Amino acid sequence: MQGVIGAFAELDSTVHAIEDLRKQNFSDITVYTPTPRHELDDALQHPTSVVRRFTLIGGLAGLTFGYWIAIWISDYWAIVVGGKPVASWVPYTIIGFELTVLIGSLATVFGMFAVSRIPRLTTTVGYDARFSEGDFGVWVPAGPDRAGEAAEVLRRHGAVEVRNER
Amino acid sequence: MATVVQPRPDDPARRPNIASAGNRLPGIRNYKQVDRDIMATLRPTLAWFAALGIAILCLIVGIAAWMYQIYEGLGAAGYQPPVMWGVYIVTFVFWVGIGHAGTLISAILYLFRAGFRTTIYRVSEAMTVFAVMTAGLFPILHLGRPWKFFWLIPYPHWRLIWPNPKSPLVWDVFAILTYLTVSATFFYVGLIPDIAVLRDHETNPIRKRIYATLSLGWRNSDREWRHFARAYLFLAAFATPLVLSVHSVVSFDFAMALTPGWHATVFPPYFVAGAIFSGIGMVFTIIIPLRKFFKLQHFVTINDLDAAAKLCLFTSMVVGLAYLSEFQVAWMSGNQFEQEYFWNRVFGQWAWSAWIMLICNCVLPLSLFSQKLRRNTTWLFMLSLTINLGMWFERFVIVVPSLSHEFEPWQWGGYHPTFVDYSILLGSFGWFFMWFLLFIKQMPSMALAEIKEILPPPMRRPVDRSHDLDALTLDPNLTAGDD
Repeated sequence: MQGVIGAFAELDSTVHAIEDLRKQNFSDITVYTPTPRHELDDALQHPTSVVRRFTLIGGLAGLTFGYWIAIWISDYWAIVVGGKPVASWVPYTIIGFELTVLIGSLATVFGMFAVSRIPRLTTTVGYDARFSEGDFGVWVPAGPDRAGEAAEVLRRHGAVEVRNER
Repeated sequence: MATVVQPRPDDPARRPNIASAGNRLPGIRNYKQVDRDIMATLRPTLAWFAALGIAILCLIVGIAAWMYQIYEGLGAAGYQPPVMWGVYIVTFVFWVGIGHAGTLISAILYLFRAGFRTTIYRVSEAMTVFAVMTAGLFPILHLGRPWKFFWLIPYPHWRLIWPNPKSPLVWDVFAILTYLTVSATFFYVGLIPDIAVLRDHETNPIRKRIYATLSLGWRNSDREWRHFARAYLFLAAFATPLVLSVHSVVSFDFAMALTPGWHATVFPPYFVAGAIFSGIGMVFTIIIPLRKFFKLQHFVTINDLDAAAKLCLFTSMVVGLAYLSEFQVAWMSGNQFEQEYFWNRVFGQWAWSAWIMLICNCVLPLSLFSQKLRRNTTWLFMLSLTINLGMWFERFVIVVPSLSHEFEPWQWGGYHPTFVDYSILLGSFGWFFMWFLLFIKQMPSMALAEIKEILPPPMRRPVDRSHDLDALTLDPNLTAGDD
């Protein structure tokens, strides 16, 4: 993938650069930031994360499995104790709850990994170690025809370094 | 006053970041300082090696005692009818309780946006994982034939053992294993961005490769942060009811039995409050020396400790109320066995342990009403040791006196722990601190990304932060008064 990476030392410069790039119809902009900032979310205007769907499906699957395993075990060893029903839903709610949390949590993490595309085994074009320390990076995918335009926007907003990458 | 330049009205940088509300770290100037100061703590020192050596020595003592117990049988552990639950079950409940504050601080206080959690939650989460790992050993140590421990796992099988999903012991397995898994997952997910920072700073190729693998190729992109933030929120939302349920389930081990002193509906909230109280005590025991030895007083400020001390005071009073309500219920029940048991608890055979519990858990923490003592780290550390002691004795008072004083006089008896019990108790502390000490030299003991989140971001154009600066000016204790 071809593009331009700009490194910024300040948050407001980064935000303004993103806004200008979006105005000039650059899309698929990736921002590298040492810490999550709402200002960047606002500038990028991404949709809400879909991780919640994994959470919901995992939680419901865990709840169903928890009740099912408890009822199945009880029916398999159908021993009546104290005249009570063999399968009793009230105590099984504990098992249902625990497995809701367990499978829901694991599904959430799985969902996060899947949509974030990690684990990632290869180095990403444009990434620089300074972006985990304190600087902000803006990666703009652009072919040779628009790379100059993107670089000019980044420089105008105060990028400390701009370079073409491929 | 700061020079205020009005930015344009639609400037997104003016919008407050929710996570930064109510917390400021005036001693930290920029993002790079966060990385530098915290990564400096990863260098091993002589004191660290000495502490690790002591922890491993304690662990060896515990392992030797366990080997002796396996050879001699469970009689070596001081069990004698009618007290067949002793130090191991007491210590199991103690360590599960310790594990609770970690999730409270990392999950519940995260949902409440409590600013003081940011610098202490990583240590608390590590404490949780290692405490639950320690607790999980005790049901196995309690077995006469520990090599058959997998029989505890309630899956249907063909060994003619009836797994009963109505039994609290089966709920325990589900609750503890879920808690361990979710806590460990929550802990690891929070660590991923920080491991990426270590990866980017590391020069040793082998260590760099290890960090690269553990960070899963994290690169701080907006896509990763967006999904990370949402997943972290959901994990916190799951962990919050989980933390309340786990110690409730542990309390059912007792409350579902008819034994005097155990069969009480107050047990679940009583256990949960006690667990949080003991966990905060252990957080103080760990974080106060850690901030001093690592010179991180400007990260874990006196204000943070003050806020945590208020939480400690509150949970102490909840625990005290639960103790009183137990006596009140016994008095008002008209049940002779309950009344006899509670009288025996405080004025009879076990009075010494009950009074240690009451003084350590209810009387001494009242000192935290004093702001001066809440901000005195020496006092907080000493108090935390007495809280740990008091909470261990709380579990002792719950387990042993009830079993030794059931319904009829022929059921009454005594209990004398042996050197095996004490050695294994010591070994459990060795096991816990060994993992903790290894952790703090391999991973950042504070969350780099979250600390950066609460710092003012670097700005080209000054932004109106006069409200923050006013607060700093008005509160001289924010930086002063530290040790």
